Amino acid sequence: METATSLKDHRVLVGNRGEIAIRIMQACRKLGTAFTAIFTPEDQESAHVSFARKYGGDHGLYKVASYHDANELMAVADVAGCTAVHPGYGFFAEDFRFARRVTKRDRKMIFIGPSWKIIRELGDKINTKRLARSLGVPTVPGSDRPIYDEMEAENIAEDVFDFQLQQGVAHPLVLVKASAGGGGMGIEEVDDIDQFRSVYRRIRNYAARQFKDEGVLIEQRITDFNHLEVQVVSDRSGKNPVHFGTRNCSIQSTGRQKRLEVAPGFDPSVIDYSFDSKKVLQDIVQYSLTMAREVGYDNVGTWEWIVTRKGEPFLMEVNTRIQVENGVSASIARIKGRDQVDLLEEQIRTGLGEPLGYSQEDISFDGVALEYRLIAESPENNFTPWVGTIDRLRWKEHPWLSVHTQVPKSAYIIPTEFDPNLALAIVWAPNLEELKKRGLEFLDELVLYGHNNAGDSMQNNIAFLKEKTSSILKF
Amino acid sequence: MDNLFQKRIQSLTDRLTYIQDIFAGKQADSVALLQQKLDEFTDRINHNNIEKPYEEVVALEDLFKEVESRLDISITPLDKVRIVRHPQRISLRDILENVYDNFTEVGGADEYSLDPSFVMARAVINRRRGKKRYTQSVMVIGQEKGHGAEYRNGGSAKPWGNAKARQFMRVAETEGIPIHSYIFTPGSYPIEDYPGAAQQIARNIYCMAGLKVPVITVISEGGSGGAEAIGLADRRLMLSNGYYSVISPEGAAAIEGRCKGGERPPQELVERCAFNLKITAEDNLRFGYIDKIIKEPPLGARPYHFDFFRQLRQEVVRATDEVVISAKLAPFKSMRTARRNKPDVNLDEMYLSWALSGSEKRRLCKMRGDKFLALSKNAAVDNRPFLAKAMHRVDDLVTTPWMQFKYEFYRKHQRKIHSLLEQLDNEWDVFKGWIGKPFGKGGVKSKEDKSSELMSLSTWTDEHKHNKWNYLSPRYKIDQAVTCPNASVYGCPDLWGPDLFAEFAGVCSNCGHHFPMEPEWYVRNVFDKDSVLEFNSEIESGNPLEYPGFDKAVKAAQEKTGCKSGCMTFEARIDGTKLVVAMLMGTFRGGSFGAAEGYKFFVSAQRAAKNRYPFLAYVHGTAGIRIQEGTHGVIQMPRCTIAVRRYIENGGLYMVCYDTNSFAGPVASFLGCSPYQFAIRSSNIGFAGPGVIKSTTGVDVAPKYHRCYKGLARGHIQAIWDRREMRNNLIQALQTIGGRNLYYR
Amino acid sequence: MLNVSNLLEQIKQNPYREITVYAPHTGVVTFENIKPGDEVHGPEGQWKEKPGTKLATLTRERNPKPIYAFEKGVIDKVHTEYENAFVESGCPLVTIRHHLTREEVESIILKQALFLFRAPERAKYYFTPEVAAKLRASDFGSVVIHDGQELFIMSRMKRELPLYYMGPEGVIYATYFKPNDNVDTDAPLIGVCPQEELPNIKEVIMRVQTEWQEK
Repeated sequence: METATSLKDHRVLVGNRGEIAIRIMQACRKLGTAFTAIFTPEDQESAHVSFARKYGGDHGLYKVASYHDANELMAVADVAGCTAVHPGYGFFAEDFRFARRVTKRDRKMIFIGPSWKIIRELGDKINTKRLARSLGVPTVPGSDRPIYDEMEAENIAEDVFDFQLQQGVAHPLVLVKASAGGGGMGIEEVDDIDQFRSVYRRIRNYAARQFKDEGVLIEQRITDFNHLEVQVVSDRSGKNPVHFGTRNCSIQSTGRQKRLEVAPGFDPSVIDYSFDSKKVLQDIVQYSLTMAREVGYDNVGTWEWIVTRKGEPFLMEVNTRIQVENGVSASIARIKGRDQVDLLEEQIRTGLGEPLGYSQEDISFDGVALEYRLIAESPENNFTPWVGTIDRLRWKEHPWLSVHTQVPKSAYIIPTEFDPNLALAIVWAPNLEELKKRGLEFLDELVLYGHNNAGDSMQNNIAFLKEKTSSILKF
Repeated sequence: MDNLFQKRIQSLTDRLTYIQDIFAGKQADSVALLQQKLDEFTDRINHNNIEKPYEEVVALEDLFKEVESRLDISITPLDKVRIVRHPQRISLRDILENVYDNFTEVGGADEYSLDPSFVMARAVINRRRGKKRYTQSVMVIGQEKGHGAEYRNGGSAKPWGNAKARQFMRVAETEGIPIHSYIFTPGSYPIEDYPGAAQQIARNIYCMAGLKVPVITVISEGGSGGAEAIGLADRRLMLSNGYYSVISPEGAAAIEGRCKGGERPPQELVERCAFNLKITAEDNLRFGYIDKIIKEPPLGARPYHFDFFRQLRQEVVRATDEVVISAKLAPFKSMRTARRNKPDVNLDEMYLSWALSGSEKRRLCKMRGDKFLALSKNAAVDNRPFLAKAMHRVDDLVTTPWMQFKYEFYRKHQRKIHSLLEQLDNEWDVFKGWIGKPFGKGGVKSKEDKSSELMSLSTWTDEHKHNKWNYLSPRYKIDQAVTCPNASVYGCPDLWGPDLFAEFAGVCSNCGHHFPMEPEWYVRNVFDKDSVLEFNSEIESGNPLEYPGFDKAVKAAQEKTGCKSGCMTFEARIDGTKLVVAMLMGTFRGGSFGAAEGYKFFVSAQRAAKNRYPFLAYVHGTAGIRIQEGTHGVIQMPRCTIAVRRYIENGGLYMVCYDTNSFAGPVASFLGCSPYQFAIRSSNIGFAGPGVIKSTTGVDVAPKYHRCYKGLARGHIQAIWDRREMRNNLIQALQTIGGRNLYYR
Repeated sequence: MLNVSNLLEQIKQNPYREITVYAPHTGVVTFENIKPGDEVHGPEGQWKEKPGTKLATLTRERNPKPIYAFEKGVIDKVHTEYENAFVESGCPLVTIRHHLTREEVESIILKQALFLFRAPERAKYYFTPEVAAKLRASDFGSVVIHDGQELFIMSRMKRELPLYYMGPEGVIYATYFKPNDNVDTDAPLIGVCPQEELPNIKEVIMRVQTEWQEK
């Protein structure tokens, strides 16, 4: 039992907040690994703080100035004697510099996530696209390197237009974006090739000003698609990545934020698709694993795909971190037939150096699952966040339900600094019909109310989720 | 008792005060003696028991004279500093009244002047030849100390005063009349408002380097930059009690004694510094930085020394005559000069026209330049082996004419050939298009090709550029957080040293603040890889003044930096374009600039001119002229400016880029005169640093007063560059400012 | 009308403010040689360019950061129990008894006299660009606002919303928030003075200036 003792020798710094912090701490407890949590004054009342207080013991909890300050995390890790850092999602999760600092500083620690070089390599979208193409993995038609020459850009744009017409797209669209940009800055679409030149010049000048790099990417803009993901897990050897199936994350807010995720990605047993959905799922899983093997991927990660109505998959990007919706994949997965799979546990265990201990053949799938993201917002009003106090959040326990939340049983003022997720509810069922029923059952039983200073009652997305439940997994 | 008598007594009292003041407590015996005699005398006068008052007062005056003569021998350098600053010292107005026959002030009057520290006048000198009378005009400019009048600011001129001086020097040039400049300044007033102390002095020096009229300078108090602003002359005369120095002895002592804020250095240290800095007329004559000493009356010239004014008049007229003669190609030049140097000659009787023809003007300019360029040759240590020096000279002899041929003859015709070829090329393209027409668009791809091309990997040579920098600051090895100085304003989180000093290139990722980087960073990251070729690295900073303890300091700096001087000169390529770079390194004794640095700078300007390369002065940092080299350092200001001016006038492209802190002499001369000056972000540029301003003017300086952004707003520089973009910006500047042929107009 | 004398009397009863200096972040504290009763000063100099009295050094990741007093006063308590210890962010280090300055008293009394427009929610607040530009360009107390004017941008949860001013027409006389800092619900954002009241306000300030003795 050498590995078991070595897990006990570790202490993990939980470099995050809210429900993910709780799930990391729970996973640590299951593994027998010590943990240290952090919090800021805004999160004083968060359940992740009380959890750490209750189970963390000495060095279990520290108050810091900011979750965004790497120095705070390092200082706490040192004083608490941490040997590893789990970044959760958001904050430092995909920051290769942070991962590099953790592993390269004088007092070295383990970064629970892929190695920093992989984060850097796959964090660069152009690089990822080129890697994919070099392996024959399909990507969105268009350029795979920054274009600096106007003539060349125009040629590519024409080709992308022609290509779409040829594919029978009625209104072809071309996307022009600054190659050094990101987060929706410096990006425009063109629906008329005659406009291309002026748009191109505008983006190029913007890029030169903003990013000191005139490079521009030109791609097809795909509007009618489903958003699919492949969950990959690998150990530090990087040699035997496995997948934990697919997810469909197409139900999103207007700002392209996920609201409802389903595993698996399609369900051909009950829904008719206009394409061979089974093959698509197989293909994207195999493509994802091919890439993971190529780069020696050594922790959990998610390959994001878009699938067009014609059933063409295109790789979008790779998220080199654990994702919010990891639980929905875990709940349909069985390792060597056992349920209660916890991907965070797998991530921490392998991250700390344990071998995976099973192969793809040992992983099977059972049933379907969905995840609701409960959020105080107003979906009818452009998903505007609602700010105020939650007076009550209660749900009825079921064997097929698990809820992750940082909202305590007492009244809770929603902090305004962070993402607005209040709770994640994961529902499992043997089939899609049953899943929808259970989902609605949960939502009907849910008690969630609160108030704000103006005395208005709380706004939430329950009605939105109810409405969307009927259409899950439909293209 | 009549008034005149009273006046004589008053005059003696003044003389006694003067003696007391300039010796500052020393020579107490002599002072006591004079005091006693004077008291006795006045006492007796007041009690009316004096028999022959006139005889006695003459006797007393003789005693004063005798004591003054005796004391004159024991004057120390610091005493001279006190002499030139004394309110009783002659001022420029006294000179205008007594040396010239008539004058009209042109730069304002008294306190109603743009800058009362400056006096400018059109003055005339009447001379004769035989029976014929001639009136000769000169432009007189100089600082006016005004016998201590407050509004004159002690002769410390504001930037606009210097600008005005330049304006009237240009007027003199237009009118073709000589300029007589009189230096009475402790230094320029360190204010950055437009036109800016340093920038304006630089403009003045640059202008004077090309003035096409004779310029004669007389130095009384020659304080560094302020002196150079009107000091680049064909003849430099110096009053025997004057001083000419890189810094005031108090300033030097404050630095030596590491005084902070308004703290005053001990007197004894000031005295020692005054001695060590070698600031007297004799010292400067020995070094060759002045041409002649004008002997003053004992203990220094005061307004009643009319003999002295007569002598001064002869000297400035003689100097002007000599300059005019030397510029002419006429026979008997030396004879005519010799005749003017005979004792007892009265130049007022030997009229000589001061007008110069076009070619004479050019010769005059060239001679002035050559004269300065030849100065201070021995103040640096040239450790190049004899053979290398000889080779260099031979190389020069051979390649210079070849380069001249190449660029001046071949280039012209080459361009014609090129344009011819271009035209042919165009014709060919049209022809090709015509040929291809019947077969449809040449090179159109089939549909299948297109889709596979849009989905498959393209070739891209620029891939995997993770290691962006060829050189990383060694500080990246230290596991330490670093606080950005702007943290309190912009909320910058602490940066991790290994990120900051490697990948981030020393730039705060939040606010863009630039932490200083090593000079090597620029050498290795700005220019094409492996293209840097250093030259003259053997030329070493020395200790020309034999300043006590300075040998050791230079050694220590050399060991610390691995460089022999604070200026590294090299040839390099940037994006394939060759250029010559002179880099002043802030890491070598604060980037101070002395004779070795000046020599290297001047040679690199010449090299750039010879090879027709652009010339870049990259100022990693400079604290100013190296104090311990005294006027050997100061003289680099006109010297290097002349070198730069010659380069520019030959068609060269001279650019300056400031980084970290750039102050004082270099900025106020050969850097500030560049038409294209840029700054790296977060740098400071100015005439005097906040500490110096506080100690010289007593005024507090606002934080960020010297920040490059302020410099940009004041019009001192043309742009501010991000360090990480310096290479691209340089390429852009070379392409746009240099044009297609980069160097040649 | 405001009874300034009464208010002044009230303040004079206890003309002090307790200032606690907290650790801005985690780290190891070492105190300067300070003790209760020592006088300290805040930033000084014409541009407040000289920092206040150094109280302690907080070292995190080998980066020693000085902690200065930000107001003038007398040290009340030094938490020497933390000497050389690792402290969490927000840990109290030193308390200073600060005698109210004239400006502070003015501000206290003005808060009574002005119309205060308060933050409807905990959020970050900014003036709209037009108003911000006006404030920068005009003299103090000359920017007039009116009821229903779009005055602020309220930023929270990564979303920005316009906020309209509600209250009497008048000039912005005081600003109580800093950009980038969170403002609590109901905390005042600005103090507004109707133009016809301006002379009265000026009189209040005159009164404070003559009657308040600074220590």
